[in-house]
Amino acid sequence: MNSAVSATRASRPYYVPIGNEEHVFKAAFRQALSVVLKGPTGCGKTRFVEAMAYDLDRPLITVACHDDLTTADLVGRFLLRGGETEWVDGPLTRAVREGAICYLDEVVEARQDTTVVIHPLADHRRQLPIERLGVTLDAALGFCLVVSYNPGYQSVLKDLKDSTRQRMVAIEFGFPPADVEEKIVAHETGIDHDSAAALVRFGQAIRRLDTAGLREVASTRVLIAAGRLVAGGLSPREAARAAVVGPLTDDSTVTSGLVEMINVYLTDQATR
Amino acid sequence: MRGDEVDSGRLRRLGLLASALAGRALQVAPSERGEPAWTDGRMVFVDADTSMRDQLEALAVQASLLAAGSLEPDVVRRLMRRPALAKRYLAVEGHRALAANVHLLPLPLRSLIDCNVAARGDSPAASLAAALSREAIADPPDNFGAIRARHLLASNDRGGASATTREHVPRRQCNQMLVGVEEDENHDVGTAADSFSSSAGGGGALGRLLQRMLSMVRPLDGGGPPGADAPTHRRRAGTRGGNNTTFSTRMAGTMEEAAIEGRGTKYPEWDVHRQRYRQDWCTVQEVEPRPKGGTSLSVSDPFGLRRSLSRLGTGLDSCHRQVQGDDIDIDAAVEARVDVMAGSAPDEAVYVDSLRRRRDLSVLVLLDISGSVAEPGATGKTVHEHQRAAAAALTVALHELGDRVALYAFHSQGRSAVHLVPVKRFDDDLDTLVMRRLRGLVPGAYSRLGAAIRHGAAVLEERGGTSRRLLAVLSDGLAYDHGYERVYGAADARRALAEARRHGTGCLCLSIGACADAEALRRVFGSAAHAAILRPEQLRQVIGPLFRSALRSAEVRRR
Repeated sequence: MNSAVSATRASRPYYVPIGNEEHVFKAAFRQALSVVLKGPTGCGKTRFVEAMAYDLDRPLITVACHDDLTTADLVGRFLLRGGETEWVDGPLTRAVREGAICYLDEVVEARQDTTVVIHPLADHRRQLPIERLGVTLDAALGFCLVVSYNPGYQSVLKDLKDSTRQRMVAIEFGFPPADVEEKIVAHETGIDHDSAAALVRFGQAIRRLDTAGLREVASTRVLIAAGRLVAGGLSPREAARAAVVGPLTDDSTVTSGLVEMINVYLTDQATR
Repeated sequence: MRGDEVDSGRLRRLGLLASALAGRALQVAPSERGEPAWTDGRMVFVDADTSMRDQLEALAVQASLLAAGSLEPDVVRRLMRRPALAKRYLAVEGHRALAANVHLLPLPLRSLIDCNVAARGDSPAASLAAALSREAIADPPDNFGAIRARHLLASNDRGGASATTREHVPRRQCNQMLVGVEEDENHDVGTAADSFSSSAGGGGALGRLLQRMLSMVRPLDGGGPPGADAPTHRRRAGTRGGNNTTFSTRMAGTMEEAAIEGRGTKYPEWDVHRQRYRQDWCTVQEVEPRPKGGTSLSVSDPFGLRRSLSRLGTGLDSCHRQVQGDDIDIDAAVEARVDVMAGSAPDEAVYVDSLRRRRDLSVLVLLDISGSVAEPGATGKTVHEHQRAAAAALTVALHELGDRVALYAFHSQGRSAVHLVPVKRFDDDLDTLVMRRLRGLVPGAYSRLGAAIRHGAAVLEERGGTSRRLLAVLSDGLAYDHGYERVYGAADARRALAEARRHGTGCLCLSIGACADAEALRRVFGSAAHAAILRPEQLRQVIGPLFRSALRSAEVRRR
């Protein structure tokens, strides 16, 4: 099963708020509203949910959605055990029973007929009908449905149904401002502040290029990966080539342009 | 010469850096030797002979000026023909722009900024005021380059042309097309003459490359009075988008032999004024094309369409309840066990298999050959030539991908003579004869778009023979015929597209090289996936999303 329950951790997952997103989330949680997180890939949506689950002291059940996700994968199914059929809860049902935060990552990837099962849960009813069992579960206190999607990604093909969207409170995510991002990169990778600042400046420059044949821009996640390579002993230029340029594009013209940018923004000396 | 090419290649690669600093698409090209760097808002010209460091500095200044709004027309207009003022303005505003962009500048370039100067103004207007005052202002460093007001204004006048093509539906308006610019002798700062043509149009490999890259290259026609403040330009859109559109009344070559009453298929037409159909209103005849001899159009996927098209509808599908497969279909397995326990014979198909979906796609390309496409479009070539090239490329690419393709051209002369020319029927081979027929098409007469779409959709449904069907209309978006005026025609075309979609045929509409504005296209094509591009080379960028969107809309209806 492609879901993961993260046990409550010892320390809070590192998340730096940029705007009022934490307040919005907590208010929505208290009011038993569902939340949709919108934002580009690698900007911290998943980390945000982890931090919120920690703050609110709820277990977090994550489901990575894919286009073959069936309703049974979410709700549960009968399995065989010792010659008997036995009902096994799916991740969504488990979250409903336990009052956990259920996080459907990249929900647009799931087929639309699958996402419809969350409708009765996402609105005022907060119920999960399980037709195979013939029961309707009321969500336990503390249950919260969180879905995320990336509006820019494959927007032509995939979009959330309006009926799904309107059942949710939306929180928009963007990439953090430079100073915050520096802090994040430095914290996540352990490299010094100047190297982090140089990486971030390079990342910010790439983000201004949204028309240059890049499908996605350099995300915070990509910058952190580059930072970790630097921490692992590569020079910033090598690290950025491997972690930023390669993942972003296959086009040789764009690649050479990006390499040229790297040479301007980053040094060639390994810090360690 | 080789050294030059290496240099220009490097400069070109700096384009990304320049775009990042300016926050908009910019290209970098070498300027005349010894000439200070300058920009026209779409390109930055820097001296290829100076050091890397100097080039970067010049680039940073020019790009920052663009980013900080220092080169907006209202400011630049005041610098027109005042080189001394422009220089003073650059000295102040250059520092301000760099300072405003400091969070993006690479560390080594930050030393360029003189904070004292940067503090003089907090906006382009303030900098201009400082430049206009009697204060002593040191000349800008050489690396700052120059501001060329005339070129900036000229490229600005081209309006949305600098907007880069975004994916899906670039609704770009090009009705302010600049066709010719007089070269007047005054450069605001700098000495070399005729810099635009020499740096973009001349200069070996790079010049040619730039010519290809720029969506429009201004021809230098040399006429007009020197010293004109604004570039004079002709507007193309008037001939096409306005009410006084002129149409060619030239008869198409194929017209007379087929204008025989009595045969052909009758189609209804939507009367928007009375809100009902006129039954059996139009007669559509298929007219045999006249192949033209000579060299056939060479089409070997010139626009790289195959790659974007090959990805359509070929995803892996997980198929449940298969006899074999790479995973157990748990629901099926449980049922099978339950069957066994209950004493009946179980179904052994209990696996999930990933199967590649077949495309099972047929496409009918409908090519508009009415008189209006014979007019030269935005890029010099006629719209017909662009559309013909695109139609050929599409047909070949789809054919090579194993889809069923047909190519029909259409024009009309009143409702009783809507002619469709089958260049390639579904069952024809794609051979040189098809290409010769395509070359033999002569644009003429009018376009009763609705009837053509209805016939295309009918052919597609009848002879396509696949579960997915696509109708691709290549037209300049001008529906006009006898008794088929603008509003009526647009409504009928929209209606016809909606009918096709309702029958499960996806529709996409492409306008190539025509100056029809986005609004007009939307009126005609309605909610069908449509795009307007300037040249067929841009097809690659829009074709994937267009096809996908069209297929999807049809799939939704069919369910």
